Amino acid sequence: MSEQFEPKIVAFVCNWCTYAGADLAGTSRTKYATNVSIIRFPCTGRIDFMLLMKAFENGADGIIVSGCHPNDCHYTSGNFHARRRWMVYKSMLDFMGFDTDRITFSWVSAAEGTKWANLVNDTTEKIREKGPFTEFKNLDYSNFEKINNDAITE
Amino acid sequence: MTPLQNKVAELFENGTITLMIGFKSALTKLPVPFFFNTASGVDQLIFTPECKGNLSVYLHKPEVKQAKKVGLLANIATLRSLVQLTSENQLGDIEKTVLTINAQNELIVFENMDEVEAYVQANFPEYSEEDKKLLEQLNAMTRTERWQYWTDQFSACVKCYACRAVCPMCYCSSCTVECNQPQWIKVSSETSGNLEWHTTRAMHLAGRCINCGECGRICPVGIPVHLLTAQMNLDIEKEFGAKTGFSCTSGYALNTFKAGDKEQFIK
Repeated sequence: MSEQFEPKIVAFVCNWCTYAGADLAGTSRTKYATNVSIIRFPCTGRIDFMLLMKAFENGADGIIVSGCHPNDCHYTSGNFHARRRWMVYKSMLDFMGFDTDRITFSWVSAAEGTKWANLVNDTTEKIREKGPFTEFKNLDYSNFEKINNDAITE
Repeated sequence: MTPLQNKVAELFENGTITLMIGFKSALTKLPVPFFFNTASGVDQLIFTPECKGNLSVYLHKPEVKQAKKVGLLANIATLRSLVQLTSENQLGDIEKTVLTINAQNELIVFENMDEVEAYVQANFPEYSEEDKKLLEQLNAMTRTERWQYWTDQFSACVKCYACRAVCPMCYCSSCTVECNQPQWIKVSSETSGNLEWHTTRAMHLAGRCINCGECGRICPVGIPVHLLTAQMNLDIEKEFGAKTGFSCTSGYALNTFKAGDKEQFIK
């Protein structure tokens, strides 16, 4: 039996909604994929794009970013600011040709334990199909190889 | 003596300015920035369509800030950065006299920023044909082709940060690339680190870049870095209706929000 690929998924979640939602999924004994590592933030407004970049650099295959639904933010407007930032960030990554399917954005409230479990399961399944993020991980290596090959053929 | 040279000499004589930043021709392909602090310097002062440099970047330099009364010869991109910098409250303590020559070859001396703003709005620049063509080509590619294109480009980057040095909007006294606890961006020039740097640069300029194209022009290895921010500006204008360097009072698109902002990708 061939070993199944287990993707590494990092979830950046807000303290007030999605973290509580994930907690609810746990206390309700809902079973979901164990591939996810949850990182708790005070608010989605705090989730800087550089943190996402670092996660990929440190070997993540997929990322979940999630927080309170619009109008539900504990700090009134953090998620609205975050939403604009994600829109711009996503469109820029698309323009760069970065595989944005590996980043899942979502709103999960404190009452949506089931939605959280489904989100993690769906994301894990999607990333598993896609396979490891070699496109990014081998970036330095493949360029190094390319330069060497060019040197040899010359 | 051209009208421009006469005017600048007059400004020096009546004490309106103590330092002039303009252009002079040199052995290089394009005219170079030219600083002088006496009226005798005006002989070399020129202003031609080849004067593409964005001289507003020098307004952040302590030496220029010390001069207090500064004359600035500005092309349309420079005027646009002045508008954007004013909206970001960055030009408070400099007494500046801004001069330009319009398409009809008339010399204009701006009295205040309101006049600059009005001029910019009346002569709002479009993207160059070359940039439009490149953007179109890139947007027509598939995702993997674009990834190949950009990673190829970024693999050549030597991390000289000339794109940062030349940008009038990159005025932070301590930049995130110099931050090393944690080290956000790799120091060595590997492709992945270069990608991080260009992502960061573009994101920090999103909704603030005024499309002067200096970063792409200055790049020693010819990476068209200005296209990243150019594309983002198009997106931001489409999504949020915000134009950069258009008004001295408008806010920063990513520092505000509307409850009805539309996105399709958040589940």
